[in-house]
Amino acid sequence: MNLGEFRPALDRWLDENTAALAPAHEHRGSLDEQMAQLAKVKRLVFDAGWMRWGWPERVGGLGGSPLLRGYLGEALTARDLVEPGIYSMTEVLAPTMIDFARPALAAAMVPRLLRGEETWCQGFSEPGTGSNLASLSCRATRTGDGWRVSGQKVWTSLAQYAQRCVLLTRTGTPESAHRGITALFVDMDSPGITVRPLETMHGVEEFSEVFFDDVAVPLDRMLGEEGQGWSVAMDLLPYERSTALWHRGAYLHRRLDRFLGAVPPGAVTAAEVGEVVQQLYAFRARSRTTQYRLAAGERLGPETSIDKILLATTEQAVFDLIGDGLAGEVVLGDDPASERLRAEFLYSRAATIYGGSAEIQRNIVARRLLDLGADR
Amino acid sequence: MDVEERELFAKSVGRAAAQHSGPALDAALDDLGWVDAHAADPQVAVSTLFGLQGSTNVTSSALDHVLASALGLAPGLGEGAVSVVLPHLGSWEPPARVYGGSVSVAGLATAGVAERDHALVVAERGAAVVPAAGLDLRPVHGLDPRLGLVEVTATISWTDAEVAPVPWPEAVAAGQRALAHELVGASRAMLDLARVHALERIQFGRPIASFQAVRHRLAESLVAIEAADAALAGAWDERTPFAAGVAKALAGRGARTVARHSQQVLAGIGFTTEHPLHRYVRRVHVLDRLLGDARSLTRRLGDDLLARRSLPSVLPL
Repeated sequence: MNLGEFRPALDRWLDENTAALAPAHEHRGSLDEQMAQLAKVKRLVFDAGWMRWGWPERVGGLGGSPLLRGYLGEALTARDLVEPGIYSMTEVLAPTMIDFARPALAAAMVPRLLRGEETWCQGFSEPGTGSNLASLSCRATRTGDGWRVSGQKVWTSLAQYAQRCVLLTRTGTPESAHRGITALFVDMDSPGITVRPLETMHGVEEFSEVFFDDVAVPLDRMLGEEGQGWSVAMDLLPYERSTALWHRGAYLHRRLDRFLGAVPPGAVTAAEVGEVVQQLYAFRARSRTTQYRLAAGERLGPETSIDKILLATTEQAVFDLIGDGLAGEVVLGDDPASERLRAEFLYSRAATIYGGSAEIQRNIVARRLLDLGADR
Repeated sequence: MDVEERELFAKSVGRAAAQHSGPALDAALDDLGWVDAHAADPQVAVSTLFGLQGSTNVTSSALDHVLASALGLAPGLGEGAVSVVLPHLGSWEPPARVYGGSVSVAGLATAGVAERDHALVVAERGAAVVPAAGLDLRPVHGLDPRLGLVEVTATISWTDAEVAPVPWPEAVAAGQRALAHELVGASRAMLDLARVHALERIQFGRPIASFQAVRHRLAESLVAIEAADAALAGAWDERTPFAAGVAKALAGRGARTVARHSQQVLAGIGFTTEHPLHRYVRRVHVLDRLLGDARSLTRRLGDDLLARRSLPSVLPL
């Protein structure tokens, strides 16, 4: 199966199954409703085979290029069948499992994520550890048959829905920095885990604080080796900046397209519209090249920070334009369509914060791409 | 061209651009087969040459050949070369207007026009090759004397038989892609100058490259360059006037961003004529305004989309 065959066949299938795929809720829906919709769509596209293309056969996939995954997410996002943020978690976590989990564990677990039977979360950030990821302190101590984990994570997206967590823990000395980190694959129903959702500015309990109180994790749930957690994190971050961003770009295209159909005459200037469209074009062109590099088996690295910077800048520009052009809806509207627009506008404010802040991305560009040496 | 041929080609164009500029570069390009390469693989020929023109701050008449090729001529860079009258500053409309039997020309041309026997003049309804001797030429000193731009004005007459319909939007697109490569090349050169300076210049006991305010200016510059370069690759894949205009606008705006940040990082020395930066700053401010400046292209794009009320699908995976 190549993209040329996949695209029209998928489009046709999506057209034929519009009713079955449509969300049960109207408008944006609550996060509970969005999660239910996500699970339903993933199950339907997995069972029909679409979701399996682009993933290796040893984890329940059908093989083929990752471009197929890129197009699937784009098609689902462009039809508003799934919210891109929660859909793309798969693109961030499944490749890491495939690269670092024991083969049997990956084979057992990844299909559950692809089919929407499970939600996974990513336990990286801590109250004292934001941009400086290598300073994390959530402690894992070795016991006879595994690990005991104690500590706290924060900004953990979808933790309250998750059955599993890819968790970074401190297993070396507190001074061991990036060398003393170990990644674990933790069952979220383990005794000792408490999840406390946080309400975001856009009114969604999207992320949580997660507390670990002497939580037992079996030895075979290690991802990679002891002390290899930094490699796991570094392996994951470029995935976060490739296929997932492509999906988000498709979502922005859809929003901008809809905005052009709705904006009242004179509400925004031609120059403002033109510049945002140019930015989106540049992002799409950049991300498209990245998708092809991924498909060719290239190892993605710090250059994906450029993709992330372009996407974050574009996302805010798109919603600044929408906020100006449809100010009445965004500022005053209390109907469901306006609430959706407002939530999306507010969520775009975080685009330069999550997934590595705008400043961290520029630090990476300066250090790794421009080779400017250390910053102190 | 395969990878090996492309490397060989890039090397010989690189050697030519390092040694020559102006008419001498035209002759060297003619010798090394750039015209044939352009016929065989326009993307490789244009991106290689114009990127180098930008990064080494040299000039040639290749833009004339690129435009003329898109307009159905293949005049080359040697014997029989033809100048193409460019739209005036900032514009991408045809440079000639027809009033009855009289044609009024107001535009620009590359330096070579003074040496040519003929020029191609494009009006709304078609184009004609006219004797260059009939054009009034004013060599422009202006913001970038080394570019050797020439201002062209003329009132000429042509008969309907001489006028052929031409695909002007496609020619503009071809020219915009070439100029965008030149802007990206110049931008990379400016960033490189600023980068080297930031690593060597010591203040407060450390290289200024270690200060985040400096690092982020340089990072911002690279992002602007890569955005323009990505759009340019997209414009070659799509070959539409839409994509070429977007790429040209991004390259022009990006180059001005890079010029601003690089000049700030280079500070005093970058403001002198002892340092090469000023040549690039001058060049990009002029190139931005050839075949559509970023501001005008952006406004037109927005006007078109607001009228259309939807966003065209672009760059499928």
